[in-house]
Amino acid sequence: MDSTDIDRSPAGRADFAAVSKTVLREAGIGLALVVLIIVFSVTTQHFLTASNITNILTQVTINLVLSIGMTFVILIGGIDLSVGSVLSFCAVVAGTVMTLPGLDPALAVTLAVISAVIAGIGFGLFNGFISAYWAIPSFIVTLGTLNIARGAALQVTNASTIYSFPAAFNAFGSRTIYGVPVLFLIALLLVAIAWFVLAKTVFGRVLYGIGNNEEAARLAGHNIFFYKIAAFTICGALVGIGAIIYMARLNIASPIIGIGFELNAIAAVIIGGTSLSGGRGSVVGTLLGACIIGVLANGLILLGLSDFMRQMITGFVIILAVILDKYRERLTKA
Amino acid sequence: MRFSKIIAAGLLAGTLMVPIASHADDKPVVGLVMKSLANEFFKNMLEGAKAHEAKRGDYTLKAVGMQSETDIETQINAVESFITEKVDAIVIAPADSRALVPPLKRAVDAGITVVNFDVSLDEKAKQEAGLTLAFVGPDNRGGAKLAGDALAKKLGQGAKVVIIEGNPGADNAAQRKLGFMDSVEAGKLDLLDSRTAHWETEEANTLFSNMLTAHPDIQGVMAANDSMALGVVKAIDAAGKTGKIEVVGFDNIPAVQPLLKEKKMLATVDQFGQEMAANAVDKALGVLKGGKPLEGWVKTDIKLVTSDDVK
Repeated sequence: MDSTDIDRSPAGRADFAAVSKTVLREAGIGLALVVLIIVFSVTTQHFLTASNITNILTQVTINLVLSIGMTFVILIGGIDLSVGSVLSFCAVVAGTVMTLPGLDPALAVTLAVISAVIAGIGFGLFNGFISAYWAIPSFIVTLGTLNIARGAALQVTNASTIYSFPAAFNAFGSRTIYGVPVLFLIALLLVAIAWFVLAKTVFGRVLYGIGNNEEAARLAGHNIFFYKIAAFTICGALVGIGAIIYMARLNIASPIIGIGFELNAIAAVIIGGTSLSGGRGSVVGTLLGACIIGVLANGLILLGLSDFMRQMITGFVIILAVILDKYRERLTKA
Repeated sequence: MRFSKIIAAGLLAGTLMVPIASHADDKPVVGLVMKSLANEFFKNMLEGAKAHEAKRGDYTLKAVGMQSETDIETQINAVESFITEKVDAIVIAPADSRALVPPLKRAVDAGITVVNFDVSLDEKAKQEAGLTLAFVGPDNRGGAKLAGDALAKKLGQGAKVVIIEGNPGADNAAQRKLGFMDSVEAGKLDLLDSRTAHWETEEANTLFSNMLTAHPDIQGVMAANDSMALGVVKAIDAAGKTGKIEVVGFDNIPAVQPLLKEKKMLATVDQFGQEMAANAVDKALGVLKGGKPLEGWVKTDIKLVTSDDVK
């Protein structure tokens, strides 16, 4: 194991050199984000305006929440392809609860939030248990879950869209504090919690350990089974929260929402410098990765590029990010 | 129940080695090939067709849906198995206006009555395959123009508008865009931008927020379906411009009814999707019963829906 890297060092050890290298790594992604922001600020008239920044933060939020969960799963060397479908399932469950007749609005919303998170946790446990118990690659398990959750969402709703949520809930989704969307602040709080868990707790350190070398972590006496299930469950819970955020923002829940969301979440995590083979990366990187995707999508529309060009450029950026990460890895190891 | 009967009939036919299945019951068999049943529009259409089968009672319906909008292979497989089963008629809403031409040509050659509805097959592809087939369906371009004209009338000449398009490559998306463009021209509107949001609410919400940043003076939006209109209306609310930007959509889904009522949406277009498959089945049965073959484009009803139509 590479003990100079803080992400791989034992719990609680504060090594100055390692910290500075982590900062350097995050700084690389941050720098890319800053460059993008400068480019769009110069080339477009409206990019750097208060209302556009509010828009970008709103647009980043759902992907950011899903990406936080995805970071946990990718850190242990797994992947979760089911998040988009599970989001849709959580949303239709929450939407059904929220529109039950005769419920007090406050109670309806509370129950809806709880049921969305429980539904997400349920699918997370399912993914984690099956991939850990039978040692099946999570790629395959979650590919199955992708279909199960989508089918379940369609079955529950009979393919119809749920709407007419309480007015206060709908208004909450558009609320801002000094131009910062409340939903984004919630996502930021989740980033902070995830950062603490991953960087400052034994639990988090063991997740890195499993991603680095599962066998070594097992020999060190850690219950790999538990940790794997935990990572997928955390991801599921965040998908449940993501579903509520989707509903608050768009005021609908439908079984066909969230298609392809998993790919955006994976892209944010990878652009953010987390290694797809696990063991290396951070949720702060994920935050920056999600912002890069959001800024790019927004800026390219403001630039007036065609839809097809936009899609191509986004693809190139993902590849570029991974190539840059290779160099960054060398730099921090040197 | 019905499924077990089909299996039983199949087993019986198989053991006796004679084509009893089609003989046992004189009712013609109509194979219905649908698009994605995950889409509320097609799901309602299928339910309309099933109700129609129960009501008429003089034919047997076999329906096949797809997993997603782009699942072309499932449709081709469905057509091929209907040919093998020797159904009397195939009624199809093609997922791709070119890829389905060769299998449908084989169906026609096998003596099956084929009715094409919802989306028209490509004329050139039909010519090349030597297939002459009528189309039963709504005029998407005409429908979009109805909505676009309503917007133009409300806003007046020179109004600044944008179009939110459907999936690039989808025929109905292309037709609806053309219809909106017709309105732009006829109403002398100022078209600022036209982009796709792939029929999706969230994508339309993001896209329109960004369009509004680039063009803060947008006065009107033409969305190629109502799911996208939902996202647009929410973006207008979030930008604090409620009531200042007019939105028109297409499809008349239940979720836009409250928006029409609150006048957050100006209009949408109903193409009576629920009855569309049933109508196409009627046309197929008419031909089977010795009626004249269908020719050209048999247009089905479309209607502009505004707040006046919502109770």
